[in-house]
Amino acid sequence: MYDLIIIGGGPAGITAGIYAARKKLNTLLISKDFVGQTGNAFGVENYTGFREIKGLELMKKFKDHLKKFKIDIAEFEEAEEIKKINSTKNKTNSFFKVQTDEGKYSARAVIIASGRNPKSLGIPGEKKFLGKGVSYCVTCDETMVERKIAAVIGGGNVGLEAGLELAEFCSKIYILEFASKVIGDEILQQKIENNKKISIITNANIKEIKGDDFVKEIIYEERRSKEIIKLSIDGIFIEIGAVPSVNFSKNLVGFNKFKEIKVNPRTCETKTSGLFAAGDVTDIRDKQIITACGEGAKSALSVYEYLKRLK
Amino acid sequence: MNNLNKKIKVYSTPDCAYCWTLKGFLKKHNVEFEEVDIFDNEEAKEEMIKKTGQKEVPVMEVEDQIIVGFDKKKISEALGIN
Repeated sequence: MYDLIIIGGGPAGITAGIYAARKKLNTLLISKDFVGQTGNAFGVENYTGFREIKGLELMKKFKDHLKKFKIDIAEFEEAEEIKKINSTKNKTNSFFKVQTDEGKYSARAVIIASGRNPKSLGIPGEKKFLGKGVSYCVTCDETMVERKIAAVIGGGNVGLEAGLELAEFCSKIYILEFASKVIGDEILQQKIENNKKISIITNANIKEIKGDDFVKEIIYEERRSKEIIKLSIDGIFIEIGAVPSVNFSKNLVGFNKFKEIKVNPRTCETKTSGLFAAGDVTDIRDKQIITACGEGAKSALSVYEYLKRLK
Repeated sequence: MNNLNKKIKVYSTPDCAYCWTLKGFLKKHNVEFEEVDIFDNEEAKEEMIKKTGQKEVPVMEVEDQIIVGFDKKKISEALGIN
């Protein structure tokens, strides 16, 4: 029986692991990988202490840091279910059972820090051309559009960063945004404006992706004129945000309208006593690496207090 | 050749997070493999596209079987990992 099981190996889960280990909690961290959204980010420029660092390098540093502590890690395992086992005699004897694709584990408290998964467009051609010009990961697949024309779908921070990254490889980049203006940070917008290879197209409602063996064309509707426009491109990178990754134990937690787990902002506790959640999977306002780390720390310290109260 | 007596090749790029994950998984299970970095290697890149009909990395080749992406279930089956 562990004191704590943490589900997720992103910034929130890893930081929770570090804080729990320093509090000498007997902890297991379960994670299918140590990548998440951060591992696929190109350049991180707003994590204190690093003027600029690749997302994957930051994740490697986080993982190395975690491994310095006494903590069990079930890497490459995916959580499938959490059950709370309530003791009929004594409330303090309640515990959680966590089922993964490889085994079963028990703990007196659980932190869900499973992050978010990339959102898909859901348009014709998207699935058909996945890996054949359609990608959700610029850092993985950027070399495939070297000296070619690429489109980035999404004008948020991640989309703008993707455009800037691709500018190092591609001859031309279009950033297509559904809204009437891009919403990424001002500093990124400035960099985009100064880059002659990048064009921003707003009011673009993406309709279809076409090609033969590989992607050749993207079709969108100009939302004001309703004109259907075809763009010849060699690669499409979809960066339209992410959805919370919770496919387990939905009955133990409450959700907001964005399917984010509702937590007490002071403690990270969910509606189930002893079950906590941290980072981008929750309803915290800001989805940032540094805030996810903070939430991870907060959740582990809350677990520590929770377990003390049980004694 | 590795302890499974199978020829295993991994096509990857340096900044690909799931290439890192795949290599970590193989190392955890003591599976030896040949790594082909396609980042600056046009010939290897073309070879991978020809073999797989797609452009994503990582790609793992186990004898004649091709596995695209880090697909734990498929990789485990191909390598006989329980």
